[in-house]
Amino acid sequence: MNTTLNVVTSQEYKYGFVTDIEADSVAPGLNEDVIRFISAKKGEPEWLLEFRLKAYRHWLTMTEPDWAKVAYPKPDFQKIVYYSAPKAKTPKYASMDEVDPELKRTFEKLGVPINEQAALAGVAVDVVFDSVSVTTTYKEKLATVGIIFCSFSEAVKEHPELIKQYLGSVVPSADNFYAALNSAVFTDGSFVFIPKGVTCPMDLSTYFRINNKESGQFERTLIVAEESASVSYLEGCTAPQFDTNQLHAAVVELVALDHATIKYSTVQNWYAGDKNGVGGIFNFVTKRGLCKGKSSHISWTQVETGSAITWKYPSCILLGDDSVGEFYSVALTNHKQQADTGTKMVHIGRNTKSTIISKGISAGDSSNSYRGLVKVQPKAEGARNFSQCDSMLIGQACSASTFPYIEVQNRSARVEHEATTSKIGEEQLFYFQQRGIPAEEAISMIINGFCKDVFRELPMEFAVEATKLLSLKLEGSVG
Amino acid sequence: MTLAVTTSFIAELLGRPRPAEWEKLREAAEARLAGRELPTTADEDWKYTDLKVLGGISFGPSPRATVDLSGHLLPEMVGTRQVFVNGHHAPHASCVSSVPAGVRFLPLSIASEACHSLGSLGNGEEKGLFEDLNTARFEDGAVILVPRNMKVALPLHLLFITKADTPIAVFPRVLVVLQRGAELELVEEHHGEGTYLSCPVVEVRVGEGAILRHERVQRESDEAFHLGMLKAEVAKGGQYHSRTLSFGGRLSRQQPWVRLAEGSEASLDGLALLEGHQVADTHSFLLHAEPHATSRQLHKCIVDGKARTIFNGQILVAPRAQGTDARQQSRNLLLSESARVDTKPQLEIYADDVKCSHGATVGQLDPEELFYLQSRGLNADDARNLLTYGFAGDVLNRIPVASLRRSLRHLVMARTQADSLGDLS
Repeated sequence: MNTTLNVVTSQEYKYGFVTDIEADSVAPGLNEDVIRFISAKKGEPEWLLEFRLKAYRHWLTMTEPDWAKVAYPKPDFQKIVYYSAPKAKTPKYASMDEVDPELKRTFEKLGVPINEQAALAGVAVDVVFDSVSVTTTYKEKLATVGIIFCSFSEAVKEHPELIKQYLGSVVPSADNFYAALNSAVFTDGSFVFIPKGVTCPMDLSTYFRINNKESGQFERTLIVAEESASVSYLEGCTAPQFDTNQLHAAVVELVALDHATIKYSTVQNWYAGDKNGVGGIFNFVTKRGLCKGKSSHISWTQVETGSAITWKYPSCILLGDDSVGEFYSVALTNHKQQADTGTKMVHIGRNTKSTIISKGISAGDSSNSYRGLVKVQPKAEGARNFSQCDSMLIGQACSASTFPYIEVQNRSARVEHEATTSKIGEEQLFYFQQRGIPAEEAISMIINGFCKDVFRELPMEFAVEATKLLSLKLEGSVG
Repeated sequence: MTLAVTTSFIAELLGRPRPAEWEKLREAAEARLAGRELPTTADEDWKYTDLKVLGGISFGPSPRATVDLSGHLLPEMVGTRQVFVNGHHAPHASCVSSVPAGVRFLPLSIASEACHSLGSLGNGEEKGLFEDLNTARFEDGAVILVPRNMKVALPLHLLFITKADTPIAVFPRVLVVLQRGAELELVEEHHGEGTYLSCPVVEVRVGEGAILRHERVQRESDEAFHLGMLKAEVAKGGQYHSRTLSFGGRLSRQQPWVRLAEGSEASLDGLALLEGHQVADTHSFLLHAEPHATSRQLHKCIVDGKARTIFNGQILVAPRAQGTDARQQSRNLLLSESARVDTKPQLEIYADDVKCSHGATVGQLDPEELFYLQSRGLNADDARNLLTYGFAGDVLNRIPVASLRRSLRHLVMARTQADSLGDLS
């Protein structure tokens, strides 16, 4: 495949493409000119272009990974449009009354506030509320304590020194196939910088959700927390998200210096395709946090319910002594969805600790795998890990797998891994029904009990929504 | 590893004259081996076990030899043993006078009845490289056939001894067939001296309602390579219980593959006690192919010196295997600074009405337990040694053959230096 790729990508761009900064988009396909175009279009400094080109050249030598337990038609990378200028968002509907009743029902079930419902459904926002003023208020509030929170492109212009210092420092451009692709062609994303000693006064979730612009299929997020800083960040939302781009390959990098804390929560509900597995997003994400400083702390919480294919392993590199890494995950698959997700905890520093709690729920014809690595390097004196991976199966056609890799090279380490797989408890169901609670509601309650160790790590309002989301996702899968 | 080295390794082993028996089987195996190379650490199945070192050694053909058996005899099995030296049957060292009538316990070279069964297990599954090498080149081996409903009172003893003055390769082969309702205890031991490669293949068929207890002891020499394959199929309601105890070998790999039919039971226990630069790898595959089967696996490793242990235990529950009950545990004790453990228990489940769990732990001795023993007057070393011995105990204590249990306990006591406390067995 590589050779073909090489041939295709190294040939002269045959659509007579030149670096026309005025153009709004490029023709499908990927080559160095396209990357130069993206970079020029975004007015990037030379070193960033070099970063992209280096990643691209390395990407050409790589093959698409196939070790994950997912099967899908491999994307044709020459058919993807790698840049199109962000269009002014034209409202899809003039008012909430025009919105598809099915979608409205979903929002109601999730308990999304009415003004947000409108924003998410694509109703002209200013009809309902003024997001700009809200945004500005938040921005000002954050700026007073020195927090930078802006789009990635903005950060490249305003804070190039920070981007230069941290970009690719956690996920090197040659890290893996999709990370390399992202490094070459990423168009935008978010940047967060919390200066020394500052505790971010709000969950960046609230702000983010309102400000949740289309950030494209190759999203780049970088969060840096300086000494003793702390931040909680939420990505995505519970409402179903649709996108015409089938392939999503995001990269998220977190850097925590001495005594810093970063809490990163994700609720992912991309379009999963229909019941027969037609359509749906391929979600190939590289997320990694570097606990660079002493006693730094990175915590990943994810609720993965969407996407046709999920390939995602939010990880922690525990470099600083006494640093802590956490991973809390609920992954739910239904119909023809396939998820291969988990985490990597790499213990390098002394007395580093990690916790992994993963709950997988598979229903329908879906396939749900946990894949994780706990690695204790020789110098990680006193490292400690606890992992628990539970799977629940609903229906006879689904599958659940667990692939934990445990590599220990230090004798003082203590590593424990536990995993169970079982059917949803028939006796529990019976008990609920006996008390007059219908099966569907009972299942929802059992699932929530099953996932509570993860949900309690989510910011409050999202925990409530996530709970509802799971029951919504499982509707009709029992009985 | 250069390509040339690896290719020559297999080619060299294949280059020798092919033993005459089982011609068709050997041809098929050779055909599969043509052009194959030694796996590298880039192969997921060999990620942690580097075979590079094999490519650098030229293993010659195995000559016949004589051995002194005095240290290897077990009193329960004096009249029920078959001995193979350097892969060849050793009739003078063997004794089958106490084997009950009706039980066939023979060298493969004279057992025509094995013709149809040999190599037929796990068909459809891809055959491993070392399994094919064995099939292409085994000199001899043992056949055990236990007829319907016969319960064999005495355990049978299989001894494979290798004596290598220069590096040699041996390919022991075993076929065990228990017909419906039969019961048997089998002890399979591998011993040796010098540098050699041993690739045993053991095929086991447990018939309906039959029970096989299989003790496997690997005490190869410290310079030896032991790459073994075990395939077992357990029919409806049958039971297969195996325990693999690995002490020797510079590099050893045990690869049990077990298929469970409806309502059958299996246990696959293991203990590896390693020191120096030893590497011991266990790659097990348990297939719950049909409903209501039960499996238990407890794998324990004690790793000292610069030794390494690898565990990769896979349990696969097929879509129709409802009512499966499977449990797997990998427990590892690290005794030294430079010891290393890589463990990967795996569950792959395609049926919903199942109870499956696995667990893995890596760590050192519990400081509270150490403190407790010290508070009772043991010094720190003794307390540590006693606990280490105790860690191995729950695998050792379940060995049903008394003399074997005793001798292995002594071995473990000596290795963990718990013997300074007196005879604990």
